[in-house]
Amino acid sequence: MAKVTDIVLWDKPGERVLLLGNHAIARGALEANIAVFAAYPGTPSSELTDTMAAVAEKAGVYMEYSTNEKVAFETALSAAWSGLRAMTAMKHVGLNVTADTFLSAVGMGVEGGFVIMVADDPSMWSSQNEQDTRVYAKFAQVPVLEPSSPHEAKEMTKYAFELSEKFKHMVILRTTTRISHARGDVVLGELPEEIKQAKRKFGDFKKDPSRFVDVPSNARRFHPIILEKIEKIREELAECPFNWIEGKEDAKVGIIAPGLAYSYVKEALAWLGVDDVKILKLGTPFPVPYKLLEKFFDGLERVLIVEELEPVVEEQVKVWAFDNGIRIPIHGKDYVPRVYEMTTRRAVTAIAKFLGLETPVDFESIDERYKKVSAIVPPRPPSLCPACPHRNTFYAIKKAAGPNAIFPSDIGCYTLGLLPPLKTVDTTVAMGASIGVAHGLDVALNGVPGEKETKEKKKIIVATIGDSTFFHTGLPALANAIYNRSNVVIVVMDNLVTAMTGDQPNPGTGDTPHGPGKRILIEDVAKAMGADFVEVVDPYDIKATYEVMKKAIETEGVSVVVARRVCALHRVGEMRRRGEKWPIYTVNEEKCTGCKICINAYGCPAIYWDAEKKKAQVNPLICWGCGGCAQVCPFGAFEVMKEGE
Amino acid sequence: MVKEYNIVITGVGGQGILTAANLLGWAALHAGYKVRVGEVHGMSQRFGSVIAYVRFGEDVYGAMVPEGKADVILAFEPVEALRYINYLKEGGLVIANSNPIPPVQVSMGLATYPSMEEIKKIIEEDFKGKLITLDAEKLALEAGNVITTNVVLIGALTQTPGFPLSEEHVKEVIRLSVPKKAVDVNMKAFELGVKAAKELLGL
Ligand code: SF4
Ligand code: SF4
Repeated sequence: MAKVTDIVLWDKPGERVLLLGNHAIARGALEANIAVFAAYPGTPSSELTDTMAAVAEKAGVYMEYSTNEKVAFETALSAAWSGLRAMTAMKHVGLNVTADTFLSAVGMGVEGGFVIMVADDPSMWSSQNEQDTRVYAKFAQVPVLEPSSPHEAKEMTKYAFELSEKFKHMVILRTTTRISHARGDVVLGELPEEIKQAKRKFGDFKKDPSRFVDVPSNARRFHPIILEKIEKIREELAECPFNWIEGKEDAKVGIIAPGLAYSYVKEALAWLGVDDVKILKLGTPFPVPYKLLEKFFDGLERVLIVEELEPVVEEQVKVWAFDNGIRIPIHGKDYVPRVYEMTTRRAVTAIAKFLGLETPVDFESIDERYKKVSAIVPPRPPSLCPACPHRNTFYAIKKAAGPNAIFPSDIGCYTLGLLPPLKTVDTTVAMGASIGVAHGLDVALNGVPGEKETKEKKKIIVATIGDSTFFHTGLPALANAIYNRSNVVIVVMDNLVTAMTGDQPNPGTGDTPHGPGKRILIEDVAKAMGADFVEVVDPYDIKATYEVMKKAIETEGVSVVVARRVCALHRVGEMRRRGEKWPIYTVNEEKCTGCKICINAYGCPAIYWDAEKKKAQVNPLICWGCGGCAQVCPFGAFEVMKEGE
Repeated sequence: MVKEYNIVITGVGGQGILTAANLLGWAALHAGYKVRVGEVHGMSQRFGSVIAYVRFGEDVYGAMVPEGKADVILAFEPVEALRYINYLKEGGLVIANSNPIPPVQVSMGLATYPSMEEIKKIIEEDFKGKLITLDAEKLALEAGNVITTNVVLIGALTQTPGFPLSEEHVKEVIRLSVPKKAVDVNMKAFELGVKAAKELLGL
């Protein structure tokens, strides 16, 4: 089992390896001779970006962690305009951030292949909503490729570049969590010479203002061109190697299965022992190639479309069928749920119902027996890590602001401050939204200076936002709050890394995949923008953090507090690699009075309650040695036990 | 060659579950199988309940094991075995690390942690499975490093009746994956897991 970064660069065509879907896509991009890659990390797309970062230098690829998806998109797009093969990657909600540029740029087309990898997260394992990128693709009239396995993800990436170049149109490669975060057997292909020799590729931008300046007169020309192109692409996709018809040729029943749903359908059919069906395996849910539908529908009496989330294929197929006078029953979302992710169980259940069969496993009986289990199994939601600096920051904020304050927060690990016992997150909407929401609440609840009517007794509003999120979309919101004379506290929880998605750098750390970039200090930005109070604190010093929070709250205007301390998970990872140890804390049972403050107000996951002794205890395997508990305990019961593991 | 073999690995984020899943996936790949490993990343990993799936065989498709289809559940924490018990097939085996990690909610008195008897009863009576528990952390410490807890459990897993990969095969993948200086500790951890499972299964 070699290192992934090595495997992705292996010059071993034909070798069978086990790769995560995201790694496979990175390999596909290299096999396609990619030149520029730019992205902002977002689960479930991040490993693609990280892999590109890790191999960029060795493959002659320019790679950057951009500050947000829109900027990343613009970086890659310009490279594609210059004739290079370029790619950007994001999670589904990242496409919303990009949307402005994305929708406007479609009509301009590209020169080099441009592939936008978008990772959807059905069931929202790590996301704030469930949205189907294929709907966006249809909206923008951009073709979508959707793999059914990690190997296909790699192959499709190559094909996506070719398709994009052929039609000079951008292409979306859409994955879901179960492709991006599934490992599968992948067969490596050839790497181009330029990648093997780490040759950095440069492009050539040919000026053409009639194409690259979207003043209305130009944009007006684009729209019909886009529609024409997409119909040509629809025709081309009938020959796409990722679309095919299989199964019994003269079957009366047909199943259409786009993307990963194909895998579930295959498994379901095998499980049900059904083989007298015809399957249309669709790698291109938009645009659906009509020619293939003609062939597929021939002789069928009923059709079921098994697709995850929105009825994107279903609607296209139904419209096509109606227009062509085909009047057989076509089912889809009436059998297959429209919310949450597809599973084999869902596919089996839908197909069994459609064919009038029994499901081979009695799922209902499992559910029935499982009911009892869910009643007695305690919940275990994710929590802030042991020694996480955010816990201390939240703890200090809550103490300083009081329970009646309002706490808008943002997207990142710190959203977990929502859970008991901290409960210091009242709103989370989207990247960067905490500052905008804080300002809006201030306007709504307190009124702003200069207005005739302002409230006497003001509500305290303390927003929290991460360092990476601050640079992502916090900046314009901060400018807005300062400009409009808000009275809010903004705490930037600077853990010096983009932690939730896997430790990527950002402008606040200054590192780039190609070496040192320029570091931008959050406090300098806040000062330059004109914040009324700016201070940096170390959250590992809870008392000092509390004092600064107090001052920030008392200051009229926008206060920015930067709580800076490196992410505990990141630090422990580095220490483990270097073989270093850290102090482990323990409870002195004589001093512990059983007040439970460490548990009921602070909540480090390493601390648990010994119900028999009525004392707090520390699990030495989980303690990461921050000493926060020792500062929180009023009786000094926490003591250093020993050095490290 | 088996047609299909399904393993569900559960535990608490940070216990090395994804590493274990990846190791088993590679072992199956080397044995010539088609493989799928399903994982969780991002926020859901942070000290919360975690599930990973390893599937291999002549023909496997999706990365998730369907409910009622797991041959084995390998649980790094006892209550996590119960949380995902709906994946176990009838007659399947649960191998659980016996060290409870009580969730914060339990310490706060907002929830209770079920007793080992309750856990066992549900697994064996309601879900017709077999449960064996071993103190994998203790064995890992005995081997020399608590980090090898997952290897102890993998060692135990290879003793499951009908487990389609050879012990040697799995060991080889581990040997190749861990840093050189950690090979001995890991091999010892593996052996301790094997020994414990043999005793518990009466082999
Ligand atoms: S990953 Fe870092 S920032 Fe996130 S919860 Fe853990 S310690 Fe805190
Ligand atoms: S037990 Fe105490 S020292 Fe250890 S991680 Fe938790 S708060 Fe920090």
